[in-house]
Amino acid sequence: MNSSLFIFFDSIRWQDLVDIGLNSYILFRLYVLLRGTRMFRILIGILFLWFLQKIADSQGLIVTSWAMQAITAVSALIIIVVFSHEIRNLFRTRDFVALLWGFPKKNDLTPVEVITDSIFKMASRHCGALLVFPGRNDLSDILKSGIATDSIISREIIQSIFWQGNPVHDGAVIIENNRITHVASILPLSDRTDLPKFYGTRHRAAKGLAESTDAMVVLVSEEKGNIMVAKGMNLEEIGNPAELKKHLKLQGVHDGGKGNGFAVMHLKTMMAALMCVIFVTGIWYGVTRGISHTLISLEAPIEYINRDPEMNIIDTTIDVVRLRLSGSDVLVNSIKPDQVRVKVDMAAAKVGYNSFVIENENIILPPGINLSKIDPRIVEMNIDAPKQKIFPIQPDWTGILKEDLILASIKIYPKELRLKGNTRVLYGISTVYTEKLDLNSIKKSGEIIVKPVIPAGVSLDPKSNAHQIKIVYIVNKRDVEEAE
Amino acid sequence: MHTEKIYLTALCFLVFGATILMADSDPDKKGQVPLEPAPEVKLTLKEASTCEDLKNSKPWNQAVVFSLKNRKVTCYCSFDPVPEKTFIQHRWFHKDRLNARRKLILKPPRWSTFSTIQMRENDKGPWRVEIMGPDGKVFQTLRFSITD
Repeated sequence: MNSSLFIFFDSIRWQDLVDIGLNSYILFRLYVLLRGTRMFRILIGILFLWFLQKIADSQGLIVTSWAMQAITAVSALIIIVVFSHEIRNLFRTRDFVALLWGFPKKNDLTPVEVITDSIFKMASRHCGALLVFPGRNDLSDILKSGIATDSIISREIIQSIFWQGNPVHDGAVIIENNRITHVASILPLSDRTDLPKFYGTRHRAAKGLAESTDAMVVLVSEEKGNIMVAKGMNLEEIGNPAELKKHLKLQGVHDGGKGNGFAVMHLKTMMAALMCVIFVTGIWYGVTRGISHTLISLEAPIEYINRDPEMNIIDTTIDVVRLRLSGSDVLVNSIKPDQVRVKVDMAAAKVGYNSFVIENENIILPPGINLSKIDPRIVEMNIDAPKQKIFPIQPDWTGILKEDLILASIKIYPKELRLKGNTRVLYGISTVYTEKLDLNSIKKSGEIIVKPVIPAGVSLDPKSNAHQIKIVYIVNKRDVEEAE
Repeated sequence: MHTEKIYLTALCFLVFGATILMADSDPDKKGQVPLEPAPEVKLTLKEASTCEDLKNSKPWNQAVVFSLKNRKVTCYCSFDPVPEKTFIQHRWFHKDRLNARRKLILKPPRWSTFSTIQMRENDKGPWRVEIMGPDGKVFQTLRFSITD
């Protein structure tokens, strides 16, 4: 067990750590930038669908897998279309540094100090008020009765809402985070009969909501100018701002100070970062190591590097090498032919027969793929290099000489020429012939200028002066006496 | 007594002189200069040519172009000296391809010989004959063409 664990950790490359770290950070950044948005929740949903699809696939649920795959693909498309505005804003409103670093300043923390201060000011002026701080219960029925708004909390806004001349001053305000989301909300009145007689409608409304939900209601009595907090079955009078802050804190209302709320927020962020690392590590492990280990065999062509341009490979014993590769199912199945390369260094190659051993270092594989076998390991090749060789020149006569004439002798200038080419090609040549020379027009001795016919695969040495050849020929009268 | 001394002195001179003479005639004696070796006689090609035929054992109508009408081409060669009985080869090439090989005997002190090929329709083109010695050395290459 220990040894297998050691082998596992030993097999982790620095590239893997970078891979995990980079992708974890990207995921974490996406979380930071998108948290609290609808898009983030939908992304989580798509991720969940993807997991379901993988599970269905592994369990052989063909239709389910297919359906999940289709839904995931369509969802990804929809998210781009539907949230195109949000995505555009994300990249438009934030600079590059903000995308990669830092946290968006979210002013959604409730300004407890402002609320407390406003409440006590209203109390001092006997200005009646009802403020609802929702818990986890759904308050949608109550919210329907109010007027939706989206005001950032401030002393002035709170006090002006509950100013007696304001048409909405009689209802309750709903406070969520740093905003007043509804005003003039009508709260359900308490049915209790044991309440003190001096409790007015505002008290009964506060009690009614607090008794039926987990919301906390802060009320300011218009008559007595006192502050009371209704939570559950209790209705408690508040004597000082610290007491009110304590109640707000118990309700989960925090202002982002260095208190518990701040710590919770950072703890959440840290947890999110840790989850990103765990999630990406899981994906990395699944992809690179995988549950199933696959072994494949494929043929890869040999690439010859550092070849002297002057050298030509005449023939080789092999052109491809069969490689046996292993790795996780995902990685092995995603190998493309151009990702596997066999390179043979020809820096030390010499003219003639050469033998190269193909080592593991000569094989380039995609990350995460292991090499099990190379077959064959030796490649032999015959290498040739251009050489120069001198050849005699011979005229290629054609046609018919007059019957009474005989072409007795010739002299060629130059007698020979120098050709450049591969050894093997030069080896097959012994004479360089001229272009066809017509005998029909020859009546007497003379000379003629012709061009050599250079055989295929070789070239005339640039320094050679045999581009044109002069042939001086001697024509004699034929001896017509009978030979022996 | 005096006469005996004269005979004895004469005998000593005779023995001494004979000893010197015997020493002169013995080539194995130390300090003697050996005789110069006789110069090596090499097989030498004196004359070579391609011709239409032979006349009086000499090439007739020497040429470098032969018409198919002549039906044959002869390669004549003459060696002088020929130090010992040996052989040569006439190797006939048509467009760099060996077409025929003739082994010819040479006898001392000098020797002339020849080989002939019959021409056919598809023999047109450039030819060469290599006159090759017994050790593979090519004495001379004669080049000619066969035409219509």
